[in-house]
Amino acid sequence: MDHLHHLIFFGALLVLASIFAGLLSSRFGAPLLLVFLGLGVLAGEEGPGGFIFNDFRLAYLIGSVALAIVLFDGGLRTRKESFQVAAWPALSLATFGVLITAAIVGLAAHFFAGLSPLQSLLVGAIVGSTDAAAVFFLLNIRGMQIQKRVSATLEVESGVNDPMAIFLTILCVELLSQAGAPQWWELVRDLVTQMAGGALIGFLGGMALVWLLNRVELASGLFPIFAFAFALAVFGGAQEVGASGYLAVYIAGLILGNRRHRASQLIGRFHDGLAWLSQIIMFLMLGLLVTPSKLVPDIGPALVIAAVLMLVARPVAVALCLAPFRFSLRELIFVSWVGLRGAVPIFLATVPVLSNLPGAETFFAIAFVVVLTSLALQGWTIGRAARLLDLELPASSDASERLSVDLTGADIDRDIAAYRVSETSRAIGYPFAELPLPRRCRVLSVIREGTVMAREKLPRLEADDLVLVVAPPEQMLGLDQLFAARPVRRSQDSAVFGEFTLEGNATLGTVADFYCFPVTTPERNMPLADFIARRLRRRPVVGDRLALGPIELVVQAMAGNRVTTAGIELEPYEVRWSRHPLIRRLRTFFARP
Amino acid sequence: MEVHDLLNPEGVIARLKVTSKKQALQELAARGAKLTGISERIIFDTLLERERLGSTGVGQGIAIPHGKLADLRRLHGIFARTEQPIAFDSIDEVPVDLMFVLLAPETAGADHLKALARVSRLLRDKAMCEKLRATDDADAIYALLTETTASHAA
Repeated sequence: MDHLHHLIFFGALLVLASIFAGLLSSRFGAPLLLVFLGLGVLAGEEGPGGFIFNDFRLAYLIGSVALAIVLFDGGLRTRKESFQVAAWPALSLATFGVLITAAIVGLAAHFFAGLSPLQSLLVGAIVGSTDAAAVFFLLNIRGMQIQKRVSATLEVESGVNDPMAIFLTILCVELLSQAGAPQWWELVRDLVTQMAGGALIGFLGGMALVWLLNRVELASGLFPIFAFAFALAVFGGAQEVGASGYLAVYIAGLILGNRRHRASQLIGRFHDGLAWLSQIIMFLMLGLLVTPSKLVPDIGPALVIAAVLMLVARPVAVALCLAPFRFSLRELIFVSWVGLRGAVPIFLATVPVLSNLPGAETFFAIAFVVVLTSLALQGWTIGRAARLLDLELPASSDASERLSVDLTGADIDRDIAAYRVSETSRAIGYPFAELPLPRRCRVLSVIREGTVMAREKLPRLEADDLVLVVAPPEQMLGLDQLFAARPVRRSQDSAVFGEFTLEGNATLGTVADFYCFPVTTPERNMPLADFIARRLRRRPVVGDRLALGPIELVVQAMAGNRVTTAGIELEPYEVRWSRHPLIRRLRTFFARP
Repeated sequence: MEVHDLLNPEGVIARLKVTSKKQALQELAARGAKLTGISERIIFDTLLERERLGSTGVGQGIAIPHGKLADLRRLHGIFARTEQPIAFDSIDEVPVDLMFVLLAPETAGADHLKALARVSRLLRDKAMCEKLRATDDADAIYALLTETTASHAA
């Protein structure tokens, strides 16, 4: 009994320590997941903690559940618009991308780690997929906004590429452990079951969940638990019939997150917390599982494989898979660099251990080192990479200043939102009666210094007023822009978005005359917005750039599919590069006599 | 392309008394007419035409109205510091109190763009803007605007 109490006490302390370490690490910008992993190693058998954990079966079980939760939460938070922008590129990366990555990494493993061809392919498969936990987490660090085409592609990719990696891994493990090779048609059948089956089960499960949530009468505290249990049932059920549970649970989350149902906020908040806990537990556990001294013999080849993965395999896979989708070079570089590896490879590396394959420890060591280098090098530099490649967008109004309440009941299509008005809120600039509220919104009440104000006597809002608004959910963004504090514009924002702002409906010919860029005669009468969409030849997203003679146009804001404002960049990327402090320093250094 | 290539001491207005964007553009056009000999009306219309494409208020209280004129022989700049900040439809909706007008010949092409970029970079410097706001003497402002160019070029 005492032993169990120990376990509870130290387990809880470890989670608390992780949270505090996380707080500290955010000051240094260290990737949080790396901190959790490190804490796990410290608590483990060779660290000061001295806790021995080598139950690979339990690790596999906990890892599966945690990953399912993270994927479900990722699906919940992926907006339909992001999915539309990214679905095809992400699918290409999630299938062919994983194959190409696995093949190239396999070659490296064969030549540098001296493994047999099949063993090498297994190593490639284990590290073949990007990690949903790491990608969702590191791309959504508070205050950082990354251009939607690349961030959505990376997120959706990480949500849907696990089945391919898992399929390849299990295939290699089976081939290595049995003598007889399966027939090719069996392989195709299995792969189709994994992918199509997973997608179908996820879709049906998600629809059923929405339907049930809107009909079953539950205590409000039970809604998120219901969704959680249902998600795990979708995951487990899909796995039972040979379909990919990881894909299914992501798709189910995607559907639930984008459908109108009465418990969206309850579920969203609960799963946000649950996803945090899953990530902490998963990375702590993987840290505990690893025995650092056993990594030592494989560290050389493992580092080489990690380098090949980051610098060769991923870039080649990205370049080939995204070739049909008109990504710019900067976007390709970013997508290549942010091929984050996380829990999935370590977790997949437990499969050969569980199957008692010879050499399993080597696979595990390689996977661990690859993940560690990826999290440390790539995870730590995402923000810098985005800034360097001009893919970081200026901050927009922060939704977290909004407090909102779901009005339960399927026929009420409204939420109540509350804002604490700030000195920099746009709303302060308007007389109360003339507030430019979005459509179908109404101010219910204004509370100032604890008193409910009579609305007709209120000349205008003041800082620290509490405003209650009833509004349909799709207008929340508009309300955020009106009532939340205005983000502080940083001086580099204008560098990202161009020196001047142009209206989307400005006539192109006039703009072209002002800024000396070439356009054809029929284009001259077009609105600027249409011209940008036409020349980009893809659905524009905020941050898209169009080089035109000496200048660049940057999409600054969109309404639906239409560009509303565009920035004009007088000194495009290549020119500004030459003014980068590093380049300047290098130049002065070499210019010295 | 440096600021002293664009701006004469006569192009600096230290205390512009205006209350609206339109009035400010009129005053600046009037000073432009004095410097270039081109009619005030033409300059005003050109600046206004540019504003119709989107405000040249670039945020943080700064505006850079600009335009091209057929009869101009070289680039001309006018800097003005308003006594009261005025509404300018800027992207961040902050009223404007520092303005740098740039007038370019029809044929200027790349030079025009380089000059605009130079001015925009100059006024993105927060320390510079603070100094400009704290100075109400035209010659001192002219010195401020042109001295950094020298140190930057070094």
